Amino acid sequence: MDKHALADVNARNESAKRMRKIKAVVQWVLAIIVLLIIIFPIYWMLVSSVKSQEEILLPVPTLWPREFHFENYINVLNRGNFAKYYWNTAVMTAGILISQVVTGIFAGYGFSKGKFKGQGLCFVIVLGALMIPIQVTFIPLYIMIANWGLSDTFLGLILPDVVSPYYIFMLRQSFMAIDDSYVDAAKVDGLGRIGIITKVLAPMCKSTLFTVTLVTFTNGWNNYFWPKIIARGEKRRVLTIGLAYLQNTFAGNETMNNHEIMAGAVLAVVPVIILFFIFQKYMLTGYSKAAMK
Amino acid sequence: MKEKRMNPRKVSALKDFACVVPVLIFLAIFTYYPIVELIRISFTDWNLLKDTWQYVGFKNWEWLFNGSGTRYLWNSLRVTVLYSIGELAVTIVGGMLFALIFNRMNKAFGAMRAIVFMPKYVAMSSAAVVFLWILNTDTGILNYFLSLIGISPVDWLGNRNTALISVLMLTGWRCIGYGMMIYLSAMMGISTDYYEAAALDGANSVQKFFKITLPMLSPTTLFLFVTTFISSMKVFQSVDILTQGGPYRSTEVFVYNIYRYAMVDFRMDRASTVAIFFFVLLLLVTVATMKISKGNVTYDS
Repeated sequence: MDKHALADVNARNESAKRMRKIKAVVQWVLAIIVLLIIIFPIYWMLVSSVKSQEEILLPVPTLWPREFHFENYINVLNRGNFAKYYWNTAVMTAGILISQVVTGIFAGYGFSKGKFKGQGLCFVIVLGALMIPIQVTFIPLYIMIANWGLSDTFLGLILPDVVSPYYIFMLRQSFMAIDDSYVDAAKVDGLGRIGIITKVLAPMCKSTLFTVTLVTFTNGWNNYFWPKIIARGEKRRVLTIGLAYLQNTFAGNETMNNHEIMAGAVLAVVPVIILFFIFQKYMLTGYSKAAMK
Repeated sequence: MKEKRMNPRKVSALKDFACVVPVLIFLAIFTYYPIVELIRISFTDWNLLKDTWQYVGFKNWEWLFNGSGTRYLWNSLRVTVLYSIGELAVTIVGGMLFALIFNRMNKAFGAMRAIVFMPKYVAMSSAAVVFLWILNTDTGILNYFLSLIGISPVDWLGNRNTALISVLMLTGWRCIGYGMMIYLSAMMGISTDYYEAAALDGANSVQKFFKITLPMLSPTTLFLFVTTFISSMKVFQSVDILTQGGPYRSTEVFVYNIYRYAMVDFRMDRASTVAIFFFVLLLLVTVATMKISKGNVTYDS
């Protein structure tokens, strides 16, 4: 009797073990297939960017370049004006980043640790702005900013993005999680508001601050809609727009210069992807943190 | 004469208020004021190519609902809804499937997850030109792969039946990893007690998924639904680079429609009218989805 029961349990354990093994194998196989599909466009972009023009037009594509033509990158930077677009993108992103961080930190403080009449109403005004995207307001914005003579300028590119309700909201939430006693203690120590923000609140919310700022950087760098509207000339064109124009820059059939377009695409994503790999931990949670409210 | 000192409480409140004033001013000028302007412009005949303009009453609204603009309004509404359904399906169904596939906690899977999530950080414009190249009819690699299994070349972006699908391929590539990450972090929050209890009752993994995982993830699903729906309605960039709304307006989503009136035709009046309609639509969708989200969700309590 006992022996039978034991054998039964053993058999069940055996089959459960086998099931788990099969499940693991299936999971690995599916994961690798999915991974290959997802990674392919990135691989194809990199490989195509170093091919020669003849090779890229072959009827049977080569999965690995025969020769490496790194001069494609030089061509894009010089002939395609990408060096200038880089500068424009960097300045625009820096402007957006700095202004959103500064306005966001102060407003985040005001809405969490500050006390004043109408605080609730003011915060509703900020949250309400989340519901008004630039895709709705761009027409009056364009007319207004162009009338100020700011089309094709850095200021024009940055102005609509100086304040980010999302950034303020995130900072307010994380400042609120900090106990008031820290702030009171800092006040007793004679710290002013700027001192409280820079010496107490910001260091305690380092990871949120950093994550949200990374998201802001990425959004700024990849910004497309507004630059397309306000910087229609060449002078302050940014990378994302320049890339879309690249097809027209090199004369001829659009398929003729795909190697150089791919080089441009690589150049445009490199800064963000480098950040992604360095700060993976933050960037993986960046969007989901925003998600959990 | 001694200056009257202000109440320190009041001074403090004033300083706190000063912290948020710049933000309020900026939002007033660059977010709220444009809405007012938009309404005003919609009652004019403002064409950027003309020097003067005047108020014309409801002419633009008539044009939009009962005139030459109506057709394109319904067209862009239809395209946007189709696009939204596609993006929702990829993010929610695809994201869930991916979460199940990549739900294994070790270093290799961690690295794979990071790579699946990476496209979210690849600039849309870079991704779009890569897809333009992959989907190219004559020299694109997708058609080459298809030819290997005997399928003749598809004009992905030039055919009105496949153009929207092509746009969705790009969207799906960028969004699916995001859905996966959101679901995975929610899955890790589900207590293992439920699964152990179910195992004692003899439930198999399929039953466990439908009876435990899926219901427990419903707040996450709802969250993804609301945010993805609203952001998908604002799609522009992928359409702008891949198809410019074509062929025959088969990918002309709402924002592209507004953009075309404003920046191609320079009809600020018409563009503003459509923009207001779009704004109201966004608000309605937001309110409706918020309403639905109260109720219909299982919470762990």
